[in-house]
Amino acid sequence: MCSSWVVAVFCCLGQLCADQSLKPQIAAPQLATNNPTLTTVALEKPFCVFDSSLHPNKSYTIYLYAMKESASATSSLVTDGSSKPLDSTFQQTNGGQLGPYKAAAFHVPSCATPPRLVDAGDVSKVSDVLKQYLFRVGDDGTCLYDPNFLDVCNPPLAPDTTYRFKYVLIDSTEGTVKDQTLWSDPIKTRRVKHASQVDTWPGQRSGAMIVITSILSVLLFLLLAGILAAVSWAVRRAEGPSAEARCTPQTAQPSDPRPEVGSK
Amino acid sequence: MAKSEDCIHILQGLLVFGNVVIGMCGIALTAECIYFVSDPHGLYPLLEATENDDIYAAAWIGIFVGFALFALSILGIIGIIKSDRTLLLVYIILMLITFAFEMASCITAATHRDFLTPDLFLKQMLERYQKAEPANNNDKWMIEGVTKTWDKLMLQNHCCGVLGPSDWQEYTSAFRFTHNDADFPWPRKCCVMDAQGLPVNLDGCKLGVPGYYNSNGCYDAISGPVNTHAWGVAWFGFAILCWIFCVLLGTMFYWSGIEY
Repeated sequence: MCSSWVVAVFCCLGQLCADQSLKPQIAAPQLATNNPTLTTVALEKPFCVFDSSLHPNKSYTIYLYAMKESASATSSLVTDGSSKPLDSTFQQTNGGQLGPYKAAAFHVPSCATPPRLVDAGDVSKVSDVLKQYLFRVGDDGTCLYDPNFLDVCNPPLAPDTTYRFKYVLIDSTEGTVKDQTLWSDPIKTRRVKHASQVDTWPGQRSGAMIVITSILSVLLFLLLAGILAAVSWAVRRAEGPSAEARCTPQTAQPSDPRPEVGSK
Repeated sequence: MAKSEDCIHILQGLLVFGNVVIGMCGIALTAECIYFVSDPHGLYPLLEATENDDIYAAAWIGIFVGFALFALSILGIIGIIKSDRTLLLVYIILMLITFAFEMASCITAATHRDFLTPDLFLKQMLERYQKAEPANNNDKWMIEGVTKTWDKLMLQNHCCGVLGPSDWQEYTSAFRFTHNDADFPWPRKCCVMDAQGLPVNLDGCKLGVPGYYNSNGCYDAISGPVNTHAWGVAWFGFAILCWIFCVLLGTMFYWSGIEY
């Protein structure tokens, strides 16, 4: 228990672990934030995993096998009877449903000089860092439909499906399996919701709208009441005998002549 | 009678001042609404596609109301100085009609602002951005508008999606029908671009490596100008209307006191 904690801490410092019974890991989430997507999964390459099985003068290749988790009940062997690796393709296994298929073949990653994840910030180095550090399963959208494609085809995975992966060490000259990791933990691709499910209901009315509407309605009502009052008052005044004297603006000529007192 | 004369003059002075302010505010309202209608941020196609573009209708009403207020304020000043009953009655009635129109504009702007939620823009973006097969000419027009506007938004504001690039991963979209997820987890415009307009690192963008894709959403870039538009029309109009209310009440009082 204590040693696995130490191993975990060691891994977190960017050092790559040297324990053979490890499983394929998903790529570091701080580097590849969009992982897994609908149809792809980016896995960390097996650094220092097979080092105890490597002989100095031989050449090796690593194969990556992928299968749907539902297939683990039927068959999860990656070798046939005579320790030769299984040569199944995506189409033959129905996308990993009937058993594992070979998704990739690449060189053994260097344990002595692993890529530094901090270099991903450098524009000139990021391509190399990504290429050396991780492998994206499901990256190639065209190889399934290209009749001239002869390499290992790595077509997109199915959405909302759980997959498991395994790395296998192959001796290039003999073509036999030398070592393999365990099957990885189940990794599920993303699930997608339909765009019509987005709810566009605006929610409650905002306070601003209620204030504006209510106050303006009241003001308009008061204005209409005011014009009615003014008109009715003017009509009554025109009919009534006495005129208001306070604050009454006079038009061009005065209405009543004033008696002159002591003129000249 | 000196007190009555002073009273009249003070009221006349106040009303003339009130009308001068109304005239200036009318010009300001026209200028402000012309600015909003000219759509300096280019967001009108998004609103047109959501069929919720009534804040633009409110701005159009504001342009004409502003002119009307300016003209009516001149009429009002003349009427008050001449103390002419007919002129002032015409002024009051026309001003009431203008008040009603401006009230409609304010309420429309305030109400329709409430409809412009992030989910509304999200749905439009998912359904129309780079949709391949338009149903009719209207649909084609809206698709072109939405696509061009989003491309411009994402490039200029260094953003992606409404709330973030995960919008493209969480929902199906018209974009997803024509672009597979392995090559295009999100549109290319979401990647950080170099000087030539190409992604700096395509694999980094697809994987979501920080620094090679735009991780924040564009909603702030949309809601900022839209809010300015809606609140500018609604609250400035509201302020003008409160002032007009006071001036109109004073004018009615003045009118009712004029001798035949």
